[in-house]
Amino acid sequence: MRLSRRFVQLDVFADRPGAGNPLAVVIDAEDIDPESMQTFANWTNLSETTFLLPPTSPEASYRVRIFTPQQELPFAGHPSVGSAHAAIDAGLAVPRDGHLVQECAAGLLPVRVDGEGAARRIFVRAPRGREVAVPVESRVWKDVLDGLRLGALPAVVIDNGPRWWLVELADEQTVRAMQPELEAIARLTEATGTVGLAVFAHTAHPDYQLVVRAYCPADGIPEDPVTGSANAAIADWLEQNNALRSRHYTASQGREIGRDGRVRVEVDDSGAVWIGGQTQTVVQGTLDW
Amino acid sequence: MGNPLAVVFDAEDLDDTQMQAIANWTNLAETTFVLPPSTREAHYRVRIFTTQREIAFAGHPSIGTAHAALAAGRVTPTAGALVQECQAGLLPVQVEEREGSTTLSVRVPRSRIVRYAGAEDELVRRCLVGRELGTIAPVLVEGGRRWWLAELADASEVRGMQPDIDAIRELAAQSHSLGLCVFARSAGPGHDLVVRAFPLGVGIIEDPASGAANAAIAAFLDEAGALAGLGDAYVVSQGREMARDAQLQLRIDADRHVWVGGQCQTVIRGQLHW
Repeated sequence: MRLSRRFVQLDVFADRPGAGNPLAVVIDAEDIDPESMQTFANWTNLSETTFLLPPTSPEASYRVRIFTPQQELPFAGHPSVGSAHAAIDAGLAVPRDGHLVQECAAGLLPVRVDGEGAARRIFVRAPRGREVAVPVESRVWKDVLDGLRLGALPAVVIDNGPRWWLVELADEQTVRAMQPELEAIARLTEATGTVGLAVFAHTAHPDYQLVVRAYCPADGIPEDPVTGSANAAIADWLEQNNALRSRHYTASQGREIGRDGRVRVEVDDSGAVWIGGQTQTVVQGTLDW
Repeated sequence: MGNPLAVVFDAEDLDDTQMQAIANWTNLAETTFVLPPSTREAHYRVRIFTTQREIAFAGHPSIGTAHAALAAGRVTPTAGALVQECQAGLLPVQVEEREGSTTLSVRVPRSRIVRYAGAEDELVRRCLVGRELGTIAPVLVEGGRRWWLAELADASEVRGMQPDIDAIRELAAQSHSLGLCVFARSAGPGHDLVVRAFPLGVGIIEDPASGAANAAIAAFLDEAGALAGLGDAYVVSQGREMARDAQLQLRIDADRHVWVGGQCQTVIRGQLHW
């Protein structure tokens, strides 16, 4: 039996359509079984597809299940920001004092809603990132950073759910001009059990303070357009090194692959990292599956 | 269960850059844009984009676009057919109603044999290591785009193949082809040929349902005089190894033109804000 359900395809971390990271959201997903969710998430071919459900906990505003084309995830940044956007617009969740509680496989997570209408920004609190000691032979690093001018901080692995290699580069120009050695990066991330490599640099640009790029070639994603977890991990790493130039800043990511994402990053008084941004509803319609 | 396609109507006011940006953003193999025809013989005009570039013609986007235009009530077939205007020219699309479902078929620009694999084609052998081959040698064909085609001994050889991604990528680059398709005759049920397509030349490991590649196989079998047992119309199963289950209908008409067709499902219907 085919039922019509509400469906949106969003652009997350985007101040205009096409600038950010797409997300498919199935709004009325109550009676879809998990196998069908996985099949549909494989079919959309987007990095994530989410399904909105009534909450099972009285504290939660809505419940979401998050799928990549291959598997279900307990939590991820851009799907959480986008799902909250869709839940509010569909009338499934109403912020109280600018807050929602998202129920997902990782538990109950706080969501903050700033502003209204097109300028509305939604923030999720990222799991706390911790440094992981990963022994790595120098030959595995061979070619990864060839010819790149490095920044002040050493390379590190941060675990905030996924594990990211982070490398600070000297300046914005070095980040933007980087020609990633994808095979070398794939060897590095496979040898060290990490999801990808993210590079970043501080910048004096008036619209953003950090520039970021993230590569996950071993997962079939040469470069990710806008990455919530990598941006959260970078903020944790800067905070741990007293290298944050501001506790509230904007990161620019995705321009080198034809996008132009903006991630708003806030480190609160407890040291927790919140990531957020604007979301554009690009496709609005119904799904028959 | 098939091969997804995004179709944008009312695309007159989108420029090339916007079309390419939308097609990159959908992340699907192809996105099409429907425009008013520029010639009286055509029912509609379509532009076809991959995530990276515009292409002159492709099978599944043509069938899907015709389905969308019909379902939206934007075109009415003339004597059971539509004429699609695309970069490759005017192409007929046949519309057949049978038992409440609609099958659409598009006539595909015919491909030709470039050459059979010879002793110098070490890479072709590497791509097929461990596979039991069929009776015809692997062959390079060209019809707008190039494909290597290889007949395997039976359906289980096709279904059980673990593609050597690096070798196929290298083969595609070296021969300026899309990559490798393997096929074998099958007793079904419900299909006569099993096909898998590995278009590593455009960065895709496996395609769930390939219109143009299947048309290339049909044209090759016809040119090689190897249609025995299949006849001039047969059904292909493709995509099961990647959890899809597509069916494609192939037909060779009296003028030896190849038609590829199938059914479409409208999955998402709505508005695009760009």
